[in-house]
Amino acid sequence: MFNKILIANRGEIAIRIIHTCKRMGIKTVAVYAEVDARSPYVQEADEAAFIGAAQAKESFLNPRKIIAVALRHGAQAIHPGYGFLSENPEFAQMTIDAGLTFIGPPPSAIAKLGNKTASKALAIDIGAPVTPGNPQPFTDPKIAAGFAEEIGYPILLKPAAGGGGRGMRIVESPEELPGALEQCMDETRKAFGDDHIFMERFITRPRHIEFQVLADQYGSVIHLGERECSVQRRYQKVIEESPSMAITPDLRERMGETACKLAQAAGYVNAGTVEFILDQDKNYYFLEMNTRLQVEHPVTELVTGLDMVELQLRIADGEPLPYKQYDISLKGWAIEARICAEDPYRGFLPTTGMITRYAMPRGDQIRVDSGIDAGSLVTIYYDSLLAKVCAWGETRGKAINTLIKALNGYHIEGVLTNVDFTNAVLNHPAFQQGELSTNFIDEYFEDGESKVLPPQEQLHFMVIAVALVFHSRRTLVRDSLKPMRPLVGSTQDTAAHTNYMVRVGEQVFHVDLAGDFVSREWEIQVDGRAYAVVTPDFEYYRRRLQLKINGVQNMFRLQYQQNHIRCFFCGTVRTFEIYTTTEWRLAHYMKRESVRALENVLRCPMPGLVTAICVEKGAQVRRGQELIRMESMKMESGVGSPCDAEVESVLVAPGQAVDTDEPLITFVRESCRFAEEK
Amino acid sequence: MSRRCDTDTHEPDMTDAVESLALPMDDNLASLQNMRDEARLGGGLKRIADQHARGKLTAWERVELLLDKNSFEEFDVLKTGRGGHLGGDREFLSDGVITGHGTIDGREVFLFSQDFTVIGGSLGAAHSEKISKVMDHAVRVGAPFIGLNDSGGARIQEGVDALAAYGEIFNRNVMASGVVPQISCIMGPCAGGAVYSPAMTDFTFMVENSSYMFVTGPNVVKTVIHQDISFEDLGGPRMHASKSGVAHFVLPNDIICLREVRRLINYLPSNNKQKAPFLDLRDPPDRTDPALDYLVPVNPNQPYDMKVLIRSILDGAEFMELHENFAKNLIIGFGRLGGETIGLIANQPAVLAGVLDCAASVKGARFVRFCDTFNIPLICLVDVPGFMPGPEQEHGGIIRHGAKLLYAFIEATVPRITVVVRKAYGGAYIVMNSKHIGADINYAWPTAEIAVLGPRGAAEVIYRREIEAADNPQAMLQQKEAHYRETFANPFLAAKRGYIDDVIFPRETRSRLIRSLQFLEGKKASRPDRKHGNIPL
Repeated sequence: MFNKILIANRGEIAIRIIHTCKRMGIKTVAVYAEVDARSPYVQEADEAAFIGAAQAKESFLNPRKIIAVALRHGAQAIHPGYGFLSENPEFAQMTIDAGLTFIGPPPSAIAKLGNKTASKALAIDIGAPVTPGNPQPFTDPKIAAGFAEEIGYPILLKPAAGGGGRGMRIVESPEELPGALEQCMDETRKAFGDDHIFMERFITRPRHIEFQVLADQYGSVIHLGERECSVQRRYQKVIEESPSMAITPDLRERMGETACKLAQAAGYVNAGTVEFILDQDKNYYFLEMNTRLQVEHPVTELVTGLDMVELQLRIADGEPLPYKQYDISLKGWAIEARICAEDPYRGFLPTTGMITRYAMPRGDQIRVDSGIDAGSLVTIYYDSLLAKVCAWGETRGKAINTLIKALNGYHIEGVLTNVDFTNAVLNHPAFQQGELSTNFIDEYFEDGESKVLPPQEQLHFMVIAVALVFHSRRTLVRDSLKPMRPLVGSTQDTAAHTNYMVRVGEQVFHVDLAGDFVSREWEIQVDGRAYAVVTPDFEYYRRRLQLKINGVQNMFRLQYQQNHIRCFFCGTVRTFEIYTTTEWRLAHYMKRESVRALENVLRCPMPGLVTAICVEKGAQVRRGQELIRMESMKMESGVGSPCDAEVESVLVAPGQAVDTDEPLITFVRESCRFAEEK
Repeated sequence: MSRRCDTDTHEPDMTDAVESLALPMDDNLASLQNMRDEARLGGGLKRIADQHARGKLTAWERVELLLDKNSFEEFDVLKTGRGGHLGGDREFLSDGVITGHGTIDGREVFLFSQDFTVIGGSLGAAHSEKISKVMDHAVRVGAPFIGLNDSGGARIQEGVDALAAYGEIFNRNVMASGVVPQISCIMGPCAGGAVYSPAMTDFTFMVENSSYMFVTGPNVVKTVIHQDISFEDLGGPRMHASKSGVAHFVLPNDIICLREVRRLINYLPSNNKQKAPFLDLRDPPDRTDPALDYLVPVNPNQPYDMKVLIRSILDGAEFMELHENFAKNLIIGFGRLGGETIGLIANQPAVLAGVLDCAASVKGARFVRFCDTFNIPLICLVDVPGFMPGPEQEHGGIIRHGAKLLYAFIEATVPRITVVVRKAYGGAYIVMNSKHIGADINYAWPTAEIAVLGPRGAAEVIYRREIEAADNPQAMLQQKEAHYRETFANPFLAAKRGYIDDVIFPRETRSRLIRSLQFLEGKKASRPDRKHGNIPL
């Protein structure tokens, strides 16, 4: 076995690999760029080497630098993790040429499978089903129109290079084709330096099913069952699970066999993933093969009991596979939520900043692969994935509940994340019933909010939590000032019951609290419904509150927001206004807090880099028209106009770094027409 | 009696008076009740409805919200106005202002609440006498004084008496200043001479959408300088919160405003002889925060948010910020450390790099003086690149204004602790509660840079000849700059001299501050006997 390996990656996956290496007694070398000097993975590794500027191409995408570090530190092998250079055949070849072991498949297999056209041809060769489409890549719109006629709408445009859904476009009708094609080519040219596109039939309500395969250097290939990754946004997976509710044992056997056959045909070695699309009639189509360790590998580990990184190391070291297919069985259910620095309520745009407070969930059957800690910086330079939270249960229902509990207690402050969004997905009835497809989020969510209202009991629980915090804080103030209290006049507050009115959005709840802070036992009524609640000792610096409600422990996250309390529970995020009965009697005279006035300014929705300005001074623009293009966390996106208006001035230039809410463009005030005014 | 409900038709009548003389004892009790009920209705139901329609509460309702339940004791309910020289005005019980005392979370406060439903809450002699009476009480017993302002201004009908009435209040504002905390809430109009009473109190709250303050209104502005300006733009809460610095707090409505007054009172002692009340939020004094070790970015020119540090070190992350939107480059406010109220002054590197300018200096100076007056220890968090350069600042009197902050710190005898977080350059270093001007304890983080000039400027001065003579002046400058940074831009030189008592780990800031506050509790300092100093106002 190796004595020392280099990990050509960062964040949670670097830490994940380090953990297995530590267990196996292998030393690790981490590489880091400017912004990562203080990252947890750098500290966990045995050795660390600085490799340059934060921009990936100066550091993590520079094969020479990485190989040089590996040689200098005496590493015998390089683990590429995922992303960056993990699926770059030249890097694999350079590693081997430098006399090191590449922990992954041979360069030839990477090259063959990395090219979508070639991998599809290979799949057809071995008789694997593929989606109807034309394997011929093209750049000419005329050819495109012809292909589309053959295949039939709706069609999907896919860049020949690259992956992860970047640049893909769905086209519903021939009229949309030219515009979509141009955007698709433009994006793929920028991202991969290649503008070849190919086309296939778009399948409605598909499920994304993938098979984990393992192959050794001696030709044995096995699969470790499937993972379902249907819940996606912008083609990025959000929730993954293994096994899948859509897969029967028979289907598993057939799909697994196809996956193994494909790996064999490609001369594949090490861990890989074969991705399929499953349509509503349970027909499956080969999608692509990923020649690396997947982000979502932990769910497979949890149901198989195997350590994938260990197996990767052993295979790379030349050991034969220690298992046969019949040794592999899937036990129970595992689900994973990807925690990303993004704002689900603003179109999942990336967020940045410093993590100022951090508390990870802990517990039985909970696994957290995290790359961050209090003090970590989240920058625009890398992928927004911060951590993965996984739960295991004997049944799918139990695994979901465990994961919900874990996410309820996951506190990340300083950077906005999708923790509560993923939790909302898990709480959604359709998810719990297993009605999944890659359209899940579009179907059941709008602007990051579930289209289904939270159950009333859930809101009651949240009302109880905020009312108790408010009440205990108030009582504390009174008690500590007691010595100064006059004898006559002020009420001594001996009343056994305290009443509050709690408003959230348009709903109002009446809360009646009876109990005390000594026994910590409370009888609480919300709109007449009684709950028995046991509280902990209140500590006001904590952001999490654990309450036992009717005998069940529940974890809430709470935050004071100006004069109100924001509560996060089971994916529901609401701001609660609490009133004493006296205040409530008068509250209806108060004007509701005014919404922010519409302004004649286009503000930056996320931190990033301006790549292009699409309009100039004096231009007439329509609402929603793309005015500025920006890049952030490897993603390019457009910023649309908030109104119909005439451009007054452009305040930024291409190449400029901009921050959230920074003004980008101003409009002539009189010319502004907002949607509300139409 | 119908007249209680419809006060507009109430005309005192001789027959009434004769009858009441003849009333037996029982009826005297009833009549007292009647008068109280009448007073409670102020200007009548219709006016109350108008007040509510504007999103405003009545004077009574405000008192009810501000004070603990049943704790209010009212004075001078039966007092009436003197009537106008212009005649025709009826007399109202209470004369348009409610005065008295009550408790906030058990602690005594004195207050007045102007009743806009009674002759527009206008201020006449009787109205002012009532206010003066409670102010005298507040000073005598040493309890905070709170004014809820909602008044159309001087009662014109009373002529010069109304002006004299303002003068009486101003006198008392000054006499009470530094003796008991004074708080003003502007919950309606406040114009002309009326603005100067709030201006002389310690804190001014304003309510959005219903309050404004100015010396001369839009109509006069239009006549005199021919400029069109709205009430909101001329003297609205947002303007006062961000531009003039007149308002310390702006709140969305009456209910939230009065809640915040209660919260502020909890931070303050009742008078200048007491300490602020102790409030244990059960936040461990030895709690460390590892994130602080990473707060200061590697690049010295990159901003970060000082509020992260503030929230991290204070008890329960609770911070009551004053002037949140005015001179944002300096943060001031109250918090607690180990249960004790502290006044916090911190440069904000996220705004104008945390530089000191005219507005920030004045904002800081007044706050330092308030804390000193009321025995509230001062904690100063420093990241200041210097004073703001440029003609705008120099012509605006940055010399005078900067001197105020310097003067205020030197004058302060309360415990004073400083933590240099990052930059502390030049004159601004001295001003920001340095050892040299009498701070008790000065800590620095390892990231501190304490020197006369920033590295670039310093290198340009010290190595000018070498840089000019170099083949590549730019490279030479960079080299010298790096050299200077290594040699001077650190806390160790200052620590060697003893100007810094200790270089501390950022994560331990909270516990070190609490430890120091504890031993400084017995601090005694005196100043030479004098009438008063001459702060460069």
